[in-house]
Amino acid sequence: MTSHTLNAHDVPEVSARPVTQKKRRDAWVIGCYVVIGVFLVWVLVPVLTVLVNSFKTPSAIFTSTPQLAFAPTLANYAKVFGGLDFTHFLLNSLIVGLGSTALSLFLGVPFAYSLARLPVPGREWWARLILFSRMVPAVALVVPMFVIFQQLHLTGSYLALILAHTSFNLPIVIWMMRSFFEELPPELEEAAMVDGAGRFGAFWRIALPLTTPGMAATAVLCIIFSWNEFLFALVLSGQDTQTVPVGVSSFIGSVSIDWGGSSAAAIVAIIPIFILGLGAQRFLVRGLTFGGVKG
Amino acid sequence: MSTTYARKTWDREGRRLGRGLMALPALILALVVFAPLVYSIVLALYNWQITQINQGKPFVGLQNFAKLFTDPKVLSAVGNTLLYVVGSVGVELVLGFIIAAALFELTKGRKLANSLILLPMIIAPVITALIWRYMFDPQFGLISQVLSFFGVKGGVDFLGSSQLALSSLMIVDIWQWTPFVILILHAGMLGISEEQFEAARIDGAGRVRILRSIVIPGIAPQILLVLLFRTMDTYRIFDTVYVLTRGGPGGATETIGLYTYQTGFSFFNMGYAMALSVFILVTIAIISTFYLRLLRRRSVFA
Repeated sequence: MTSHTLNAHDVPEVSARPVTQKKRRDAWVIGCYVVIGVFLVWVLVPVLTVLVNSFKTPSAIFTSTPQLAFAPTLANYAKVFGGLDFTHFLLNSLIVGLGSTALSLFLGVPFAYSLARLPVPGREWWARLILFSRMVPAVALVVPMFVIFQQLHLTGSYLALILAHTSFNLPIVIWMMRSFFEELPPELEEAAMVDGAGRFGAFWRIALPLTTPGMAATAVLCIIFSWNEFLFALVLSGQDTQTVPVGVSSFIGSVSIDWGGSSAAAIVAIIPIFILGLGAQRFLVRGLTFGGVKG
Repeated sequence: MSTTYARKTWDREGRRLGRGLMALPALILALVVFAPLVYSIVLALYNWQITQINQGKPFVGLQNFAKLFTDPKVLSAVGNTLLYVVGSVGVELVLGFIIAAALFELTKGRKLANSLILLPMIIAPVITALIWRYMFDPQFGLISQVLSFFGVKGGVDFLGSSQLALSSLMIVDIWQWTPFVILILHAGMLGISEEQFEAARIDGAGRVRILRSIVIPGIAPQILLVLLFRTMDTYRIFDTVYVLTRGGPGGATETIGLYTYQTGFSFFNMGYAMALSVFILVTIAIISTFYLRLLRRRSVFA
């Protein structure tokens, strides 16, 4: 294809082109909207089905002909917060999530700052080690962890779960926060040096307050990862420390699965995490790709 | 003079602070990640049946690793896992690219679409399994109801059929993770400079041509990144398989992660389970090193 250069001959052609191009453009854009629309239906229908089921009585769920008109009931939600121990699972998930998030931030933020700003030897080496630890699959960690915690008489405790979840949350905090610290203009901390604030002062009073939004986003991601985690929770939790996924898994397996109750439970588990996810949407891509995509 | 002096103390102080700030986190990371890894390598050298407490654990050297290569269940589990990886990641990449490209063209509603697309990937895999357990139900599930509307009566037992079970699990993976692919590829497309599109349009390039010659090369790093993360995560798949099929029917959906779990916690053969853990770790390390080489060449994770 030859490249065009604008000259007098092209003028009529150029003025004629936008009309046909605009038409073609419209058809293309409409096509794009249709594609997105179909995809959204595919994404939303399974969740909406469960949402609708959570308001149905068992007899309304178990019909071979789907009904759209039904008398909504809150009985399933009453059951979720009443009989199923579900409030206990929610509380456990909250304790483990907040515990491992707090621990990971407490440990990871100073580490990330050191990697981003301080003249530490072997920075690259450390960064690679952290990346490697994100790649270690839970399946490879859970068997030895179970044995270690068993010997320490920690299986079934919150501490075991919090430490296990720290194994994936700590690397995430380090990589996320490193990228946030690197984005700060270094002049701010240099000014602190001139003012005689000292290294720790520059970190504590300048860098840390400026990265609060990044820290909040990182915390949200940690809570989501911890809230959704299943394998560690399955193996390391005890009767009293089961988290939401473990609790839910136990009633999926049973033959006489209570569809109304489990649908309501699913909705209750989804809503807080979806709200948090929307809040951290801007940083979700960065967190999920370990800083590989800034988003 | 005084500024160089300040510089020097500043650097010295920085090194000292760095040591102080990094010591405890490094210790904890070593305890929760590297200690278990080393421990699993050591224990993989023993024959350790956790149920037989009195028997102790005799040292068997590399026997567990030798068994790993002759165990037909490992072979079939690796086969199932690879099939799952290739099928899921392949569809996710192609579908994700199409949707991301469509999203890129939208002028209105892009933000709303983005927020809704997000939904599947932040739902816990176990909850996702619950949702799809209902969708796949042969009697009351939505899919069977839609199929019966088109004349396929009696319902299809997606999860109970050895032909359909693995593909059904892939559909769940595709539902949950295509949004992840979309978000990353879309972010990559937004990073391509407007001048490149301008120049192509002036050259009279059509839409397909622009996609092929500008968009795809422009998001090559993101495509590699998506492949890295999705390959790693599908290779270690556990949650949905455990909840939906437990490896059944007849081992049709047994993945390497599930087999490792069952060896340890259903058959209580801890030594062999550790050997399988090491096997997963080594194979994932090989796969990710391959991708990371390609990525570093494109200065991601520099």
